[in-house]
Amino acid sequence: MTTTFEPQTEQHWSPPQRASWWAGVWTIASIELRQRVRGVAAYVLLGVFAFILLLVTIGAALAVGAWADGSEGAGGAVYAIVMVVTLLLATLVSPALSGNAINGDREEGTLATTQVTLITATQLVLGKVLAAWITTLAFAVVAVPFILYTVILGGLSPSTLVVSFLIIVIEMGVIAAAGVGLSGILRKPLMSVVVTYLIVAALSIGTLIAFAIVGASVRSHYTYVSESADWARVDRDERAGLDPYQADRVPKPEYCTEVYSYESDVPRFDTVWWVLAANPYVILSDAVPTTYDRYGSPNDVFGFIKLGIRQAQITPQLEEHYSDCDPNRYESSEPRNIIETTVPSWFVGLALHIAGAGLLVWGAITRVRAPARRLGAGQRIA
Amino acid sequence: MGIIVEHAARSFGDVHAVRDATFIARPGEVTALVGPNGSGKTTLLLMLASLLAPDTGRILIEGRDPMTDPLGVRAVTGWMPDILGSWGTLTARETLTLTGRLYGMPNAAAQSRAAELLGLVDLDELADRPTKVLSRGQKQRLSLARALVHDPRVLLLDEPASGLDPAARVHLRTMLRGFADEGRTILVSSHILSELEEMADTAVFMDAGTTVSDERVAAAKSSERAWRYTTVDGRTETVMIAGGEPDAAAVLAGLIRDGVQVVTFAPAVGDLEHTFLDLEAGR
Repeated sequence: MTTTFEPQTEQHWSPPQRASWWAGVWTIASIELRQRVRGVAAYVLLGVFAFILLLVTIGAALAVGAWADGSEGAGGAVYAIVMVVTLLLATLVSPALSGNAINGDREEGTLATTQVTLITATQLVLGKVLAAWITTLAFAVVAVPFILYTVILGGLSPSTLVVSFLIIVIEMGVIAAAGVGLSGILRKPLMSVVVTYLIVAALSIGTLIAFAIVGASVRSHYTYVSESADWARVDRDERAGLDPYQADRVPKPEYCTEVYSYESDVPRFDTVWWVLAANPYVILSDAVPTTYDRYGSPNDVFGFIKLGIRQAQITPQLEEHYSDCDPNRYESSEPRNIIETTVPSWFVGLALHIAGAGLLVWGAITRVRAPARRLGAGQRIA
Repeated sequence: MGIIVEHAARSFGDVHAVRDATFIARPGEVTALVGPNGSGKTTLLLMLASLLAPDTGRILIEGRDPMTDPLGVRAVTGWMPDILGSWGTLTARETLTLTGRLYGMPNAAAQSRAAELLGLVDLDELADRPTKVLSRGQKQRLSLARALVHDPRVLLLDEPASGLDPAARVHLRTMLRGFADEGRTILVSSHILSELEEMADTAVFMDAGTTVSDERVAAAKSSERAWRYTTVDGRTETVMIAGGEPDAAAVLAGLIRDGVQVVTFAPAVGDLEHTFLDLEAGR
């Protein structure tokens, strides 16, 4: 057969322009996506995911009585549970989908044939991050009907929906980027998948464990002093026509004669609260704007988680004093005050996540760059 | 132009894969890269394909240095690796179209180029099957087509004939010959020396990471070698002749003078193989 090649005077294409830089990224992403879309596994996973969400929605709604009459606010709990489960499942699936993106190609022998094209290392890695992100987002999309249903059920504000969905989308991107980055840095697909899972576990569970252990082991001395009124004398004096009370039937100070005190150690969670800032679920709860009921309590589950995190920031009072004769004895901070006077941490956590994922992606880019000067032990090029 | 390599070296830890490679491959010629397993052929090709940086030495592909202008080198170089990776669930047509896209071609151009190449490597009928169902030889042809997507002026082919059936080999040979005649620079490595023999214009011999000097090649070529002749009655005889072709001609004349009815008279092994084996033996 004779060839149909034209002489070398003209080329079929022009050198890539700046505008087509993203087109190159997209080509890489579409190669990845096409390969995944044709696999049955992705659809099975999505089906299982939808089924789990269905069970969770029904189960949570029954558990909190969201369908019962006069159950205002219970829908918010269902909503929060669905969101948390979505984030949980996405973080469980994403490392498996992204953790072998680059070293898997290396093993299949398709990385080098891509590297010799006019695609740069940055385009290649970013394309793979994009594909992994989009694949994980499919799980968020499957969750949308459930999320919308629970939003309607709970009568939640649009800002709650938008913020929580945005945070989940960004967190999915962070995990996808970390997985792809590690797959470029580590040689073995199995290793990079496992390390990605370990990172997810460290952030989701490790932060909680570190918080509990460190917080509980750092202790401070605590003294509690309680003054009880001599109620018998108060009654006697009242009957005798004397006025033993200050305002609101609080006994005058001279009646508080029985002093009781005890001492103990209290955990200092305020020294380690920032560890929780890196927890994805904390980021989610802390970022969602909280609405309050008329007692100043949060309306939804995210709000209660947020309250818990914020409470941990507050330095415990190391000397507490209670007196029956103190007119302000029952006054305590309402939840709203706690949330509004403490520091939001979600953007710090989110920034840390994005920076960490970015660092891993950058590491992958430097390792994909060719011509390669340095190779890892046992690493093959093609 | 073409390929110029001067004292290129590359080691992996304490393994010196390529110690000192120096050669020129000219446009319009098929240059064979010959050497035993582990002589550094694949490492050398990886350096030429801008995937691996040489530790020392210099490489120029069409006047461009892969270290300083990798994209410039990639734009003019087609590389066919010795291992056959393919995007398993994508079809051959998609593979070639997407490769075209990776070379920055607009979609329509990439598609028509893919169709053209599928015809060229005879994969029309399998064009829309996933590449994972292709046989080794078919993958080999797809791999060649992929190396040709951007119409490169320089072709680096690592073991292109392995896995091909005889018809496909003849086809490959014709194709490469045609590319060379169009003025492209073709560098082919292969173990199948008889194959290279028929299409290569010149050869670069590699031994233990070093390209063998012209003098050593010349010496090896003119060393004693076996010639084989067959006669009308079907007898095959082998004679050892020391002094190259003039001496062989004299031996043939002698046979005919003696009344032997010779019908074929040729070296028992080809030039490349003879040189290769002699270099091996001389180590």
